Amino acid sequence: MPIRIGESSSSLQERVEEACSVDLSQCYECGKCSGGCSTTHLMDYTPRKIIQLIKLGYCDILYNSDALWLCVGCHLCVDRCPAQIDIPRIVDYLREQAYQQGIKPTREQVVTFNALMLGSVFKRGRVSEATLMLQFNLRTRRYFKDAQLGTKMLVKGKVNPFVPGVKGTRELRRLFRGKPAGKER
Amino acid sequence: MEVAYYPGCSLHSAAREYDMSTRLVCRHLGISLKEIKDWNCCGATAAHSLDHLLAVSLGARNLALLDGMKMTRVTSPCANCYSRLKAAAHELQHDEILKTEVERILEAPVPCGVEVLSLLEMFVTQVGIDTIAENVSKPLKGMKLAAYYGCLLTRPSRISGFDDPEQPVSMDRLLEGLGAETVDWSHKAECCGAGFTAAEVGIVLDLGGQVLEAARQAGAEALVVACPMCQLNLDTRQGAIEANRGTRYDLPVMYFTQLMGLAFGYSPRVLGLKRLLTSPFPLLKTKGLL
Repeated sequence: MPIRIGESSSSLQERVEEACSVDLSQCYECGKCSGGCSTTHLMDYTPRKIIQLIKLGYCDILYNSDALWLCVGCHLCVDRCPAQIDIPRIVDYLREQAYQQGIKPTREQVVTFNALMLGSVFKRGRVSEATLMLQFNLRTRRYFKDAQLGTKMLVKGKVNPFVPGVKGTRELRRLFRGKPAGKER
Repeated sequence: MEVAYYPGCSLHSAAREYDMSTRLVCRHLGISLKEIKDWNCCGATAAHSLDHLLAVSLGARNLALLDGMKMTRVTSPCANCYSRLKAAAHELQHDEILKTEVERILEAPVPCGVEVLSLLEMFVTQVGIDTIAENVSKPLKGMKLAAYYGCLLTRPSRISGFDDPEQPVSMDRLLEGLGAETVDWSHKAECCGAGFTAAEVGIVLDLGGQVLEAARQAGAEALVVACPMCQLNLDTRQGAIEANRGTRYDLPVMYFTQLMGLAFGYSPRVLGLKRLLTSPFPLLKTKGLL
């Protein structure tokens, strides 16, 4: 039975379970997810606590948490979970909700980078790493970030701004469903 | 053997040497790689963390393109591209509602039952380590290597279905087949910091630093990778990691295909070994491999 503290509590758990095809009642709070997590030492709420917060219906805490933007997607948690709860999928779901609701992320640069990358996919279907890095540095006003490294990589031929794009861009753009991909709010 | 090839964006830019060496060793082993015509970016972390439906759709478009080529088996050398494509194929196969929606957006049918293999998996399961070993003309004698798998080659295990999720051995066996020695170490499948390389570089210095330190403590002379992101983080950020930890590592980070090529007798130039920031040449010289 989902814990029903208020109207919102059960609905969050149910929404997560529906969207992510998971059964949170299977979680017995063993904490193996948090033990395995690559970035747990940096998080405000560990994966185990995230599951509990979902059960308690704490949307606001979850959508504003630093943990959402620190999950690196390494999948150690789900592979260690005795109940095989797909925690990376849950974190993706929460991130997407927070992003769609325009909640200011604790790690704005992570979102900026991801949005710029999607912008490149929208425009060209592919990503040129060099162009993306340059765009990111300009957008975040860190004009000289990695300049030295960039030069070294240029010398090694690791910088190619001319990655050819896909031909079927119209068809590809349909996949974005009219959403302003890569356009930051 | 014919197999569709999904190189991904990195293999056209920062990881071109991975593409070069992959094509070379595949040709050597009689594998014909058919690049997916007009493939698109997998969306990587950016797509799946901001727009799940988009992430699946991007994979679906690539799967549909495969269908047009009448191919049912595809390999990707990039761990991220492989993982995203396989995850999309898995979800579309197990979720009929999602599949219908994606096909409506894509305006094309998405094929079921496409076999998605990582390049390492293809070599180990379809070619076989014995066959690879038979092709060795210049054994990598005396090299002590740390096989580094990273996150996405083996995880999540219910989707990848390949090797052990945390203690994988396939790359170790392959490298041993090439005549090298591999070290037992703790960080084979730990995370390097992945996509945080631009936005939260501190995390890469932290996690990547732990990987390099573990390899050093295990006595490795170089790391071997099968992922452009792992290579980028451990090689190009190695200088910053060294400054951060106050330890000099000087550990070359090579693609496993480069080492296969070397053992098959190809020159370091055609394998793009010069393109690595931490030069492997002093090591290769001491082992008589140049």
